[in-house]
Amino acid sequence: MNVIRDSMKEIRASEELKQNTMEYLRVQKRRARLKRIRWYAFAAACICLLLTGGGYTVYIRPVSYISIDVNPSVELGINRFGRVVEADAYNQDGRDILDRVPLKNVPYLKAIGRLLGDENDSGYLTEDSRVFITIISDRWETMLEEIRGDEMSEKYGAQTYTSDLASREEAHQYEMSFGKYRACQELSQFDESVTMEECHEMSMGEIEDKIETCKGHGHEESDGSYEDFENGGSDENYEDSGNDEHNNDNGGNESHGGHHDHRH
Amino acid sequence: MKSEEDLSRVMEAYADMVRRICFLHLKNKYDTEDVFQNVYLKYLLYDKPFESREHEKAWFARVAINACTDHLRYAARRKWVPLDMIEEEREVLDDMSSEVLEAVLSLPEKYRNVIYLHYYEDYPAVEIARILGKKENTVYSWLSRARELLRERLGGEWV
Repeated sequence: MNVIRDSMKEIRASEELKQNTMEYLRVQKRRARLKRIRWYAFAAACICLLLTGGGYTVYIRPVSYISIDVNPSVELGINRFGRVVEADAYNQDGRDILDRVPLKNVPYLKAIGRLLGDENDSGYLTEDSRVFITIISDRWETMLEEIRGDEMSEKYGAQTYTSDLASREEAHQYEMSFGKYRACQELSQFDESVTMEECHEMSMGEIEDKIETCKGHGHEESDGSYEDFENGGSDENYEDSGNDEHNNDNGGNESHGGHHDHRH
Repeated sequence: MKSEEDLSRVMEAYADMVRRICFLHLKNKYDTEDVFQNVYLKYLLYDKPFESREHEKAWFARVAINACTDHLRYAARRKWVPLDMIEEEREVLDDMSSEVLEAVLSLPEKYRNVIYLHYYEDYPAVEIARILGKKENTVYSWLSRARELLRERLGGEWV
């Protein structure tokens, strides 16, 4: 005989205890569900906040830069979505233009178009002036193609180049746009006597004229030829200054073609 | 989260066992209800699968014992003294049962657990060791010590 078993037989959970407990569990289940819903809502709110915050950070961060130098020197910061998020002028003419022309959040081709259009209207773009567009970007090939294919750039015979972030920083030390700095570096390859300070004071047209003049020596037959220049010096120059050779090949030739059209 | 059907099933299957474990440790029906509900709440929130029904039952036994121990620790800090459980149950128990249970309840806590699991639930020492998280040898020595104590209180022929 198992007296312990027998003695405990009558100790049972009453129906009341069971029912109370089932009811208690139902309440707890509802509470847990509510808690979970609240937690999901909270998590969703957090994610939304992160996305909008993170999205905004991504939106305002420039990933590419475009320097547009005619006489006005302007640098545009372009975000991942191809829109202008920064616009800085590097001379008085540039500042005047930026005051007039709204560029923020505008797709970069449109922004270039607006700048060139305004410069044309305000007389910066003349027969003799030249448009230099210099790009720093991971996707420079696409950007160059787009710019070259753009109606406005074509119309004003823009010459396209590429540069890099290190050159951009150096350029800013001389208070120049990186587009102008690239041209100055090119000039200094031909004429070592020219200092950056002197270059700073020159207009883009003057710099290019000087390069052409230097190039012109021994090339009297050529028409101050960009093609000659291109084949002769610029590539090396580009390589020396750490820029992309291939890129320059592409960018240079076509753009110079555009330049000729413009001049003649 | 467990379904209503599942909760009803475990309620039917283990309510008496949980209630008896509570009875061995707790002094009144309020504490019992607290602990009882707490054990089932733990089941509601427990989301790992059980290997078998046996595993599930052992889980309930272990959780119930632990819940009682925890409750007693908490109750020890309380100022008021709870009613004696045996008084409440006396009406459903005959004299013999009352005497046996009183003897069981007079044992130290650890002996109560092994006595219940061994004599009522028929668990072998190795299972009891697993449920209580003790060594098998410990369980053996507790069992034999508990038997000795019961024999002293109830006379020789209690089992």
